[in-house]
Amino acid sequence: MSITDLQTDYAGRRGALFGLALRASLLTVLSLGIYRFWMKTRLRRYYWSSIRPGGQPLEYVGEPLEKLLGFLIAVVFLSFYIGVVNLLLMFFSFSLLNSNVWAYVLSGLGVLPILFYARYRARRYILARTRWRGVRFGMEPGAWGYTWRALLHWAITILTAGLLWPRMTFLLEKYRTDRTFFGHQRFHQGGRWQMLYRAYLPFLAGLITIAGAGAIFYVSADISAILAGSAGAMLALYGLAHYRVHSFRIMMNYKTVGGVGFLSQPRPWRVLWIYSLGYALVVLALTVLFVLFVMALVGFLSANDLPAIEDLGIADLSREVPVWILSLGSALLYFSVFIIWGALTHVLVTLPVARHYAQTLAITGAASLPGIYQRARDELEQAEGFAEALDVGAAI
Amino acid sequence: MSSTIIHVGGQDPQFQSFADYCDGDSAVVHRVTIRIDETRGGAALVISPPEQADVIWPLADIRRVRDQAARDVDVVRLRSDPVSRLLISDAEARRIIAARCENLNRRPPVENRSRLVVWSLGAVASVVLIIFVLVPLMADQLAGFLPPKGEQALGDATFEQIRRALGEDDFVPLEICDTAAGTQALATMQARLDGQLDVPYPLRVQVLDDPLVNAFALPGGRVVLFRGLIDAAAGPDEVAAVLAHEIGHVANRDPARGALRSAGSIGVLGLLFGDFAGGTVVLFMLNRLIDASYSQQAEALADSFAHNALIDAGIAPSSLATFFERLVDDSEQPTGIAAHFLAHPAMGDRIAAARNADSLLAGPVRPSLNASDWRALQRICQSGGGTVEKIKIKKGI
Repeated sequence: MSITDLQTDYAGRRGALFGLALRASLLTVLSLGIYRFWMKTRLRRYYWSSIRPGGQPLEYVGEPLEKLLGFLIAVVFLSFYIGVVNLLLMFFSFSLLNSNVWAYVLSGLGVLPILFYARYRARRYILARTRWRGVRFGMEPGAWGYTWRALLHWAITILTAGLLWPRMTFLLEKYRTDRTFFGHQRFHQGGRWQMLYRAYLPFLAGLITIAGAGAIFYVSADISAILAGSAGAMLALYGLAHYRVHSFRIMMNYKTVGGVGFLSQPRPWRVLWIYSLGYALVVLALTVLFVLFVMALVGFLSANDLPAIEDLGIADLSREVPVWILSLGSALLYFSVFIIWGALTHVLVTLPVARHYAQTLAITGAASLPGIYQRARDELEQAEGFAEALDVGAAI
Repeated sequence: MSSTIIHVGGQDPQFQSFADYCDGDSAVVHRVTIRIDETRGGAALVISPPEQADVIWPLADIRRVRDQAARDVDVVRLRSDPVSRLLISDAEARRIIAARCENLNRRPPVENRSRLVVWSLGAVASVVLIIFVLVPLMADQLAGFLPPKGEQALGDATFEQIRRALGEDDFVPLEICDTAAGTQALATMQARLDGQLDVPYPLRVQVLDDPLVNAFALPGGRVVLFRGLIDAAAGPDEVAAVLAHEIGHVANRDPARGALRSAGSIGVLGLLFGDFAGGTVVLFMLNRLIDASYSQQAEALADSFAHNALIDAGIAPSSLATFFERLVDDSEQPTGIAAHFLAHPAMGDRIAAARNADSLLAGPVRPSLNASDWRALQRICQSGGGTVEKIKIKKGI
């Protein structure tokens, strides 16, 4: 690390983000889901501006209305697909095979290419709407090329029982990175896929342990095989986190944009800890809120001289209280849980993870930055419509 | 530069500060001096990058970039310039900018608004066209080409889904009622009604043990009566009338069309409303609406099939009318949107049509079942223990 490297600081605060997420999800529910495009935009502005390499914040400039439009365009294509193609599949499946299983399988497989297509388009849209130091990021068109490559790599990975997973990770990321730009300058993904293999070993060891334990249990029904299997599952779980964090780190460190490079040092244990602690706290908070809610309800009933809750069967309750109040109450409870879950997840999981990745990232070769010029705006009418409609990459 | 006069509530008139400026041309962050010039048309912010010409931003056109995380810096932009940004960290400068820029918190304009509206309307129209025109049209056409074996498989799958959906839970599907005497009585009634039926598969009539006053037809020649319907009938002729109506649906292959339609339309509606909580409710309501739009016509055709079948069997078609009247009397007639959702509007017309059909009866009237067969049918579910009474819902006949 040299003195000219740009360290990244993180400006996001839990309190402010919680308020933003809570208000936005409330509006989303009240607007029957329409506000979600505004919610996504506002949250992204917040997350992006939190990340400040060299003290200069990233900026997200996507517009909610273009997301709504992209979604509508995607819905037209997908309704045609889902409506007409599913109808035909159902018809032929029952006509030729007298069962609907094949219709479900084929219809599921048919969505797969759209899923990969959507993922590339979403990444291209997000990059086109991200700026740093007033200069746009961007990505070349290439969603169909990505789609058939992804399908092929998945097929190879499955056929080799997961042994070639790192090859898929690397080659797909290289395909995306080599089409990415910062201003006029193209990104380059260096390195080879074999460099990821070491990071993949813990996960592979977990998989092999599970398979071995399964085989032993099948042959001898030995109880200790179950213990070995559970240990293998724990190992595989850690291995997955290990692989995701380290493969991100290694590939990041082999990326360059002209003379600019990256130095990324995230730690798998830290990421795993944030996820476990975060979700545990979310569940705990919801439990506490629920207990408080029940206590308040009991207090309300006894204060109003109504029979205590334990004297009321459900049947009695529905006689005492009009049905519409009960349904409204349960709908409110349901939506509150939904809203609070979302807001807490942002604060306790997404923000800390983003902060960890940001604070462990430095930018090298910053002296080359002034030589990077602006690129033209990429209009992208479909925005991330397909990703939105199919709910891929729903993290933020 | 000419002299500068600033009026900020008695502040030092010589306001000058530093800020970071990104010009949107290259990835250079310029360290600039900023000051306010009062001598231009309105007051303006003068941004002076080193060794470059000054940039002038009228104060009225300065906007804050929203939802920024950092609290120690304000990011501002010019209304008409989507790219350039000024990042102000100095507390005094931020206070002055906030006080002097009256439109700071207004939103910048949305570009291409009219094109957005046109595209949105186009998108909504296409989806409506697909769901309400294309899918029903294709379903109606394809239903005629379903081979008998395939249609029976479709009916079997739907039948099991309904048994599971109405059962106590997924593992205890709804009981099929099949006491020997009851089944025999049902077969007798069926034999008198299906003379005109011309379909490439056998008719299968079954009773499900549920208090719903309901009956429906499924693809592949299945007809299902609920126990509640037999309980509610005053005599065997009313059950026979309803059965004849359902056989009418089988004859017209309505169930196959309906099943194919919902295969197409349910998924599309789920897509539209996303996975936000509660979307399923809207989904259900909409699918009911779609069903109802074809039911009216199909019901009339099934009624007229029933009238003919009943007349041929020497049973008064008005039995259908008396049964409908009992349903209407039991509950207040739903009106408006509720009637539309019930899939059977214009009940009055159907009652009148059934009454009129009585005049076509040629021979003597003969009850559809004798007294002992009718009793057997009423007890078709009594092989096991008693059943708990649930709320009665009328629909689907």
